[in-house]
Amino acid sequence: MPSTDPDVPERPTGRALRARDGVLVVAVALALLVLFEGSSVRSAGEEMDPGLERSVVLAVGAPTGWVADRLPFDDAADEALGWLSPDDDLGGGSGFDAPAGAPRGGAAAVSPDSFDPVELGAEAREPRPLRTLLVTGDSLAMPLDTELARRLAEDGDVRVVREPHVGTGISKTGLLDWGKLAKQQVGDLDPDAIVVFIGANEGFPLPGSDGRESQCCGPEWAAAYGSRVRTMMDTYRQGGDARVYWLALPLPRDRARQEIARSVNAAIDVAGEPFRAQVRVLDLVDTFTPGGGYRDAMEVDGRDQIVREADGIHLNGTGAEVAADLVLDALRRDFGE
Amino acid sequence: MVFPSIEFAIFLPVVLAVSWALMPRPRLWKPFILGASYVFYAAASPRYCLLLAGLTVANQLGAVCVRRARDERAKRRFVAGTVAFDLGVLGLFKYYGFFVDEVGGFLDGIGLGMPLPLLTIGLPIGLSFIVFQAISYTVDVKRGLLEPAGTLDFAIYLSFFPHVVAGPIVRAREFLPQLATPRDPRNVAVGAGVALIMLGLVKKVAIADLLAREVVDPVFGVPGAYAAPDVALAAYAYAAQIYCDFSGYTDIAIGVALLTGFIFPQNFNSPYRATSFRDFWRRWHMTLSRFLRDFLYVPLGGSRSGRLRTARNVMITMTLGGLWHGAAWGFVLWGVLHGACLVIERPLRGRIHAPAWLRWAIVFHVVVLGWVLFRAESLDLAGAFLSRLVEPGPATLWTPVAVAAIVAVVGFQLLPPEPLERIRLRVATLRPVALAAGLAVVIALVGATVPSQGVPPFIYFQF
Repeated sequence: MPSTDPDVPERPTGRALRARDGVLVVAVALALLVLFEGSSVRSAGEEMDPGLERSVVLAVGAPTGWVADRLPFDDAADEALGWLSPDDDLGGGSGFDAPAGAPRGGAAAVSPDSFDPVELGAEAREPRPLRTLLVTGDSLAMPLDTELARRLAEDGDVRVVREPHVGTGISKTGLLDWGKLAKQQVGDLDPDAIVVFIGANEGFPLPGSDGRESQCCGPEWAAAYGSRVRTMMDTYRQGGDARVYWLALPLPRDRARQEIARSVNAAIDVAGEPFRAQVRVLDLVDTFTPGGGYRDAMEVDGRDQIVREADGIHLNGTGAEVAADLVLDALRRDFGE
Repeated sequence: MVFPSIEFAIFLPVVLAVSWALMPRPRLWKPFILGASYVFYAAASPRYCLLLAGLTVANQLGAVCVRRARDERAKRRFVAGTVAFDLGVLGLFKYYGFFVDEVGGFLDGIGLGMPLPLLTIGLPIGLSFIVFQAISYTVDVKRGLLEPAGTLDFAIYLSFFPHVVAGPIVRAREFLPQLATPRDPRNVAVGAGVALIMLGLVKKVAIADLLAREVVDPVFGVPGAYAAPDVALAAYAYAAQIYCDFSGYTDIAIGVALLTGFIFPQNFNSPYRATSFRDFWRRWHMTLSRFLRDFLYVPLGGSRSGRLRTARNVMITMTLGGLWHGAAWGFVLWGVLHGACLVIERPLRGRIHAPAWLRWAIVFHVVVLGWVLFRAESLDLAGAFLSRLVEPGPATLWTPVAVAAIVAVVGFQLLPPEPLERIRLRVATLRPVALAAGLAVVIALVGATVPSQGVPPFIYFQF
């Protein structure tokens, strides 16, 4: 019965139906969505971090995806509604098809790009003047991107493009393939320098050198991850015209994530070796988590301040300021004041 | 778990179906809906369920003690103790970091660099809303407006999934009577509920998130990189974004509650139509306004003790109302600005006869200005944002879509309500199959506008 209590808010006007009609409305709406968007549930589940929620979404996504795969409606809906999407189609996983790793069955040739010319007494190849700086990555790139943009906005000569892609990772390519995205970013923006800070959502299985899936975080996985990173570095450095600043991950609080971060950092280090003339791997581990021990706070401007978010993964505003200092120092070394 | 997500799309039909199946048997239904609400809340962080349970136990204990206390003094002590506990929890989780930062900075500034204990404490989602609802329960019991509910009923009230993360702030005496008898399964406002869910999805996903992505976040992030035309557009865009984000959330919350058979109070009533600041606060976040009125402004003395005292009470209420939104000086200044406007406006009421359009223009633009303080990450950035309003330069963000979205959000609120109400009623009276098809089409359309990284959290989740 509707309550007659004067304190109970008034019910909005509209057709009163039976409860079963309400359940039916929601169920029919979702059934229609399964027909037209069924594969999206499966894709979303595949992109989620491991856990109960992912298992539930995948348990629902498997049959809905199966249904959608066998009917023509899913593709039709994608074609009809594709124009509404704010993103280009950058999923699918083909962006890393030709990794820049060593050829199988033989040692990789050492290229001149493997050396910093200054270390060998040669003259450094002058980079292009810094006009466009791209700051990209996953959620780790925030708020570093804003901090860099603010500082560089002060002199007004550098255009800073901020492109964080929250929830994405190099080891998962379903919704966003970083191999494809890197090429698109370079093509669209022609950046003179690129800052990359990514790694909060890694640890997904990757195809190993033998074609089989390797689980995180052993040498097989690190090698596969490193190959992808190297492909991206090679894209971003644009044949030596641009400079790349790749930030290694400060260790997260969670032990399971630490294992992933260590593997990611090792892979980044190795990946950058052939391109040392243009790719700088900036070590945030020593700055934020020296000795491999996690800490929330550190001394900044003469007093202890919290530098990490409560999740124990991301840098907070103060942490981003510290990271921005490191990036700006590296930019100054390459591009001058 | 956010409403516009695949997880919620799986959660809702299951919970709805089981809830209505169990509704005739409250002994089964109540534990079920409590469990479902905790599952919903745990999706944000399971650890915070312990905090929610702790608040439930403490406030129930407080309310029972208040009811059993023999004299008024003892009742007051129990209420004060319970409210202090609630505010202590809120203070620890929400304001501790801010306090340490500000006090540490101050001590450092005067040469007393005393290290204060630094703690990284995550803010449990919806804590401010949960605390306010808990306070409303205990205080209303003390006022004799409400009998203490059974513990299970109170636990459901505090954790009920449609409102647990961002309101609306439903008062205990609005909700608990609805728990007293099973909801009637033959008389459910399905049409109104589905219409609200559709409207909320469009507001949040198609408008608020679009404006945030295209205009608001870039400009508020780095105001120094933009000139006056873009900065002005960003100010209007944020006014539209925050309205669509928060009222969109509220629409979905009220709609979902209706589908489960429960009625929540209205939270927005075309706020950008207001022609005075008092009018604005009667239209914007109405459940917060009445909470602040009933539990802060009136107990402080309200308007009963002369102009100066009234002004003081308004300023205290609005400043604390601002601080409730977050631990930052921007929120405090936003509250002070609105408090000052209410104080200045009060004696002028009825004495100055300005045309309605002029009053609207003044109120609207002060509100938009206030949102700059609310949105900027720091006062320095708010200052930088405002200083760029006089910086000539190109308009780089004025796309037809962004401008149309802003005009539509403000324009619809200025239209007479009757035609829009007729459209809403038309949707709310559709047959079930048509409602289902409409809901599917709306979800598909707004889903297509979601970027690869998904739907960003609602703005009010952080409060």
